Amino acid sequence: MLWIWIGALDQGLAYAGLALGVYLTLRILRFADITVDGSFALGGGAAAVLLAQQVPVPLALLVAVVLGALAGMVTGLIHTRLGVNDLFAGILTTTGLYSITLRLMGRSNIPLTEAPPGLAQLPTLGLGSDGAWLLALLLVVAGLIAALALLLATDFGVALRAIGNNPLMARANAISTRLGLTFGIALGNALVALAGALVALYQGFADVTMGIGSLILGLGAVIVGESLLRPRTIPQALVAVVLGSVVFRLMIAVALQLGMDPVDLKLATALLLLAALGLGRLRIPGLASSGERR
Amino acid sequence: MSLEIRGLQWGHPEPGGGWRQLFEGFNLTCATGEFVVLIGSNGSGKSTLLNLIAGTLPALAGSVCLEGRELIGLSDHRRASRIARVMQNPLDGTAPDLTMAENLRLAECRRRPGLRWSGLLGLHPDARDRRRYQELLEELDLPFRDRLDTPVGQLSGGQRQTISLVMASLGEPRLLLLDEHTAALDPRAEAKVMALTDRLVRRLQTTALMVTHSLEQALHHGDRLVMLHDGALIGDWSAQERRQFSPDDLRAFYGNVRVDERQERRG
Ligand SMILES: Nc1ncnc2c1ncn2[C@@H]1O[C@H](COP(=O)(O)OP(=O)(O)OP(=O)(O)O)[C@@H](O)[C@H]1O
Ligand SMILES: [Mg+2]
Repeated sequence: MLWIWIGALDQGLAYAGLALGVYLTLRILRFADITVDGSFALGGGAAAVLLAQQVPVPLALLVAVVLGALAGMVTGLIHTRLGVNDLFAGILTTTGLYSITLRLMGRSNIPLTEAPPGLAQLPTLGLGSDGAWLLALLLVVAGLIAALALLLATDFGVALRAIGNNPLMARANAISTRLGLTFGIALGNALVALAGALVALYQGFADVTMGIGSLILGLGAVIVGESLLRPRTIPQALVAVVLGSVVFRLMIAVALQLGMDPVDLKLATALLLLAALGLGRLRIPGLASSGERR
Repeated sequence: MSLEIRGLQWGHPEPGGGWRQLFEGFNLTCATGEFVVLIGSNGSGKSTLLNLIAGTLPALAGSVCLEGRELIGLSDHRRASRIARVMQNPLDGTAPDLTMAENLRLAECRRRPGLRWSGLLGLHPDARDRRRYQELLEELDLPFRDRLDTPVGQLSGGQRQTISLVMASLGEPRLLLLDEHTAALDPRAEAKVMALTDRLVRRLQTTALMVTHSLEQALHHGDRLVMLHDGALIGDWSAQERRQFSPDDLRAFYGNVRVDERQERRG
């Protein structure tokens, strides 16, 4: 029984980058970014290709991050330079990314039979390999939270927040909204691609379709986390979002435990999000609609 | 000369088709440190003029020089490193989810345009900055000076407008553009903000262009009064000359402009 919960915890942490990336684009920049669906699979696929060829794990993760950032940058440039609205810019990139990811992978599914070599050196916390995973993922996620919290506390980060909050005010204070949006979307997708790679690593395979529904999944984590913790500061919000990712996974684990067919997983996710949105609307005014600005 | 506007052209399509040329070779020069008050009827082009100077609207032709540097061709956020604005709508000037301290900090960084990669190193807001903001707000005697950590969105519209003015005074602007910045304020607050405006303009030694509909302000603030009608200057008075006017005289100027007089002034 316990291993199911630990497994869900691990998965929630693996998906934390997705939640953080969606938080950054949707909440900080107020940019509804569907690119995450594409960059999640891109990260997972790229990492799987490299890992299958015995490339060290950190390097594979780094490549995934860079590719994700590039994907986000493309969307950012399409949006800021060509004036294409956020949803269409994201869909354009994601559609293109599907082919790119498939070409990169060479086939639609890559299994990863070997566990990452570094994992064996970590203490298992008495929980078997899931314990080692837990420790590794916790370290990664804590690092991400700290780095993001620091970034968003600098003048640069406050400028990013101003861009999402009031672009007119940002420009009137000499902040380039184009540069900021492009950078922010790139950073968000870098986080998402990292999550894709970690998820592929954890579940032992990458699939071109693994990104479908990522935005909704990330959004679900953000909303669940925010309604649970009601963050008042940025660091609190980052922690809340990661917590939301874990809780979201736990809820799915419970559903599966109760006999839900894995085929219905996406439907259940969508319904769960709908419920969370409904609850969010009741409990936090303006929360539900703020995700669909413009 | 600090601000030199020469041959400025701007127009817009009419709703029923056709084209309305609002500014047709508009000229205006302001001396360094001069505080110019701009009046004119609704739709005469006051906000548009400020937008053209700030670059939030693109001019069709002409030249806008600030301290000898051409602004036309620069995007609005680049111009903002030397031009500070208080916009007509109180909600436009501040970021509501950011705290007062964060808003002030952004305004202070205005000298470094772009996205301030240099800002990646500076953690925010550092204790020394906070003390400085605290002193500034205390010195200005603002009623919300102890709310540095309150999200600006939780303040009233008038309070936000006042913060916009304080923000505009930070970051060493070379030109201050104020667009009816007291329109949303109660009479007491208006008097305070106008006193603050006078004080800031004097202290900064910056050129300022202030739009207002208040005849009281038009007669008692600034070094020079200009009147705009349909995109053309129809009056330009020094503080000395302005003394002859009563509020009723000024009132009579609004919408009471003879066409021949206008063309004469334009030419
Ligand atoms: N972006 C735009 N597109 C089309 N027309 C515009 C635009 N901006 C302003 N105008 C027109 O230009 C004219 C001048 O508008 P402006 O906002 O400058 O007036 P104003 O002098 O500031 O008036 P008020 O005192 O009411 O603020 C108006 O007729 C307005 O309809
Ligand atoms: Mg106006």
